[in-house]
Amino acid sequence: MDEDVLTTLKILIIGESGVGKSSLLLRFTDDTFDPELAATIGVDFKVKTISVDGNKAKLAIWDTAGQERFRTLTPSYYRGAQGVILVYDVTRRDTFVKLDNWLNELETYCTRNDIVNMLVGNKIDKENREVDRNEGLKFARKHSMLFIEASAKTCDGVQCAFEELVEKIIQTPGLWESENQNKGVKLSHMEESHGGGACGGYCSVL
Amino acid sequence: MAAGTRPGPRQPPEAEPAAEEPHPPLGRELTEANRFAYAALCAISLSQLFPEPEQSSFCTEFVTGLVRWLALSEAVLPTMTAFTSGLGSEGAELFAQSISKDPALQGSLGAITQDLLSFSLKDRYDARARVLVCHVTSLLQVSLEELDVLEETFLESLKETKEEESEMAEASRKKRETRRKWKRYLLIGLATVGGGTLIGVTGGLAAPLVAAGAATIIGSAGAAALGSAAGIAVMTSLFGAAGAGLTGYKMKKRVGAIEEFTFLPLTEGRQLHITIAITGWLASGKYRTFSAPWSALARSQEQYCLAWEAKYLMELGNALETILSGLANMVAQEALKYTVLSGIVAALTWPASLLSVANIIDNPWGVCLHRSAEVGKHLAHILLSRQQGQRPVTLIGFSLGARVIYFCLQEMARERDCQGIIEDVILLGAPVEGDPKHWEPFQKVVSGRIVNGYSRGDWLLSFVYRTSSVQLHVAGLQPVQLQDRRVENVDLSSVVSGHLDYAKQMDVILKAVGVRTKPGWGEKGLLLAPGGPPQEEPQQAAADKTSRQDGQTQGPAPRDTARASTDPSQAQEPVGPDPSEGASLPAAEGPAGSPPVCSHGVDPNPLGCPDCARETPGPCPGLD
Repeated sequence: MDEDVLTTLKILIIGESGVGKSSLLLRFTDDTFDPELAATIGVDFKVKTISVDGNKAKLAIWDTAGQERFRTLTPSYYRGAQGVILVYDVTRRDTFVKLDNWLNELETYCTRNDIVNMLVGNKIDKENREVDRNEGLKFARKHSMLFIEASAKTCDGVQCAFEELVEKIIQTPGLWESENQNKGVKLSHMEESHGGGACGGYCSVL
Repeated sequence: MAAGTRPGPRQPPEAEPAAEEPHPPLGRELTEANRFAYAALCAISLSQLFPEPEQSSFCTEFVTGLVRWLALSEAVLPTMTAFTSGLGSEGAELFAQSISKDPALQGSLGAITQDLLSFSLKDRYDARARVLVCHVTSLLQVSLEELDVLEETFLESLKETKEEESEMAEASRKKRETRRKWKRYLLIGLATVGGGTLIGVTGGLAAPLVAAGAATIIGSAGAAALGSAAGIAVMTSLFGAAGAGLTGYKMKKRVGAIEEFTFLPLTEGRQLHITIAITGWLASGKYRTFSAPWSALARSQEQYCLAWEAKYLMELGNALETILSGLANMVAQEALKYTVLSGIVAALTWPASLLSVANIIDNPWGVCLHRSAEVGKHLAHILLSRQQGQRPVTLIGFSLGARVIYFCLQEMARERDCQGIIEDVILLGAPVEGDPKHWEPFQKVVSGRIVNGYSRGDWLLSFVYRTSSVQLHVAGLQPVQLQDRRVENVDLSSVVSGHLDYAKQMDVILKAVGVRTKPGWGEKGLLLAPGGPPQEEPQQAAADKTSRQDGQTQGPAPRDTARASTDPSQAQEPVGPDPSEGASLPAAEGPAGSPPVCSHGVDPNPLGCPDCARETPGPCPGLD
């Protein structure tokens, strides 16, 4: 089973407390939703294998705690991450405003600069929207991130968010190949087999 | 006794702030984030220390227990499991940093070590737990000395009697020794373990230590801090239900071909981990006792040496010496050393003078090779039956003693329940197969380090192996090329030029392989010969010999006791004799901390270190 997995990717989910990071993950991995989900302690961890463009990728997803008291631990997880999902709550403007802080932290602690970021506006099923879709889009463009709006409750956009992210990572061979190189796989071989299929340009996902 | 010899100023200075108020286990006082980080740090360490699949259940259990101990939500268990399976190890450093900033610690990271120690003691303090505690201690940059102090403190708390109790009662007293505070913490930690189900295991109360400890605990029933049931359970499981421990062990029947097998105490104390030293041969003169070569050894306060097959070992030693005196000419020996050093020696190149005396050595050597294997297997079964209790055991041996260890490990590796008993093993000049595939099974038996101390110039060893087929892979002559964090090869070529040097240079060798020696021994170096102990040595040796030949009596324990007590200046306690040694101690984490490669650094080299003198190109060719 593990043999046909192309690579293992480390994905990190960050964002303010209560924006629904764990719910997004739970929806993605177990396809369930729990409105009363307890606050995450430290970090939560889940593995899921997904298939994107015929390539299987094993995702090791670290779901960090948003609460301030766990903030000191968050930097521990950035190292080695290939993709980051930054989540905000469309019904709470403050979570959107704080995105800048998260980006700063990301910049400070990430070990690589070509890491793929995705901005997710969560809870679009709710009525009282405070952050407009276009605002999110603008912010994502400005910081060259992927962007999607989603709802963990209704399952809207969740699968898509992870898939787009993985796709983009796989299209950036430098990101994950170095990992394989460490394990002794020849770099050249990888380039031949996947370089061709990659879409060279940057695709913004709307 | 341990209490008596303890020098005062060893208390960790940071201890004071940590233990101000009597609280439940300190671990629980940390912020939730840091409790998480603490558990994660342990989980990550476990994944690094014990990645083998057969250890995974231990790791999972340990971490699960720790999560409960820290009162963390069960929701973190999947994450911890991920950590123990090797994921997320890049966070370890930051976790450690985060813990170190916790307000509850007030900068005293020793408190974490202490907490982890009480947690491990509660369940089982086996070799793996100790290796983990050491590892985490060094990750937190706490000195291992402090860990020793903690272990002793715990022991003392079991031993001390009434007077201590009254102090326990006045828990709120402000003026109090640091040590006492630490102790109280430990006891509180144990008391909160709860669960008196293990109280049935009281069979071993006859042993003096356990009896005293039980008196403390039972007598102090008023002191709320002590959960008596837990205390007794901890003691009996730690020190062995038979109580008397290793010295009480008697060979019930003749096992196989073994004629003699007794544990002699080398030191007087008690400790949470023990060391067993195994001598490779006996000789006339200074080295006629089993304990003689180990006079500098101070790895633990509770050390034993194994007395085995004295008759044959004496024969062997005499044969070795005969050969040496046959080649009394130092030049000839040096020449031999370099012949051996230069590579494979064909049988033909051995000097005729040596070959002519070959029969002197070949016979006793063959006999002892066989017997050491038997003794090793027997030792394995004693350790497997936990005569020593749950405590981690370190084995150290030279020459045939190393062979005993080798076979002991081999035998243990065959048993299912072999994990967590052995902490470190140190084999010096081992006349055993050095092919890595034979050493592989040891990974699951040994939790800490596997040290192979070898000498390329050990011509005697290569001589006795001259006709053997394993000649090319003798562990005592070359490094064992096994890729494992445990294995450390130490080139002793500059210290050991002939097999007999293993006993004579033991203090230097011990330092080179990163084992603690008694303070004062290191600097003296050569003084080993005319030093203090030899004065007692002759009659002591004689006594030893006679009592040994009387049969397998309890062993001349009083003799060693006497020596230990006549020797108070050399406080048995290793008080961090010098900085270099301290530096080599954390070697448990891996080759990074391995001791000076070529023991030139360990000077003064009594041989004048020919390697340096003649500037041989790579003095330490084996350490790649």
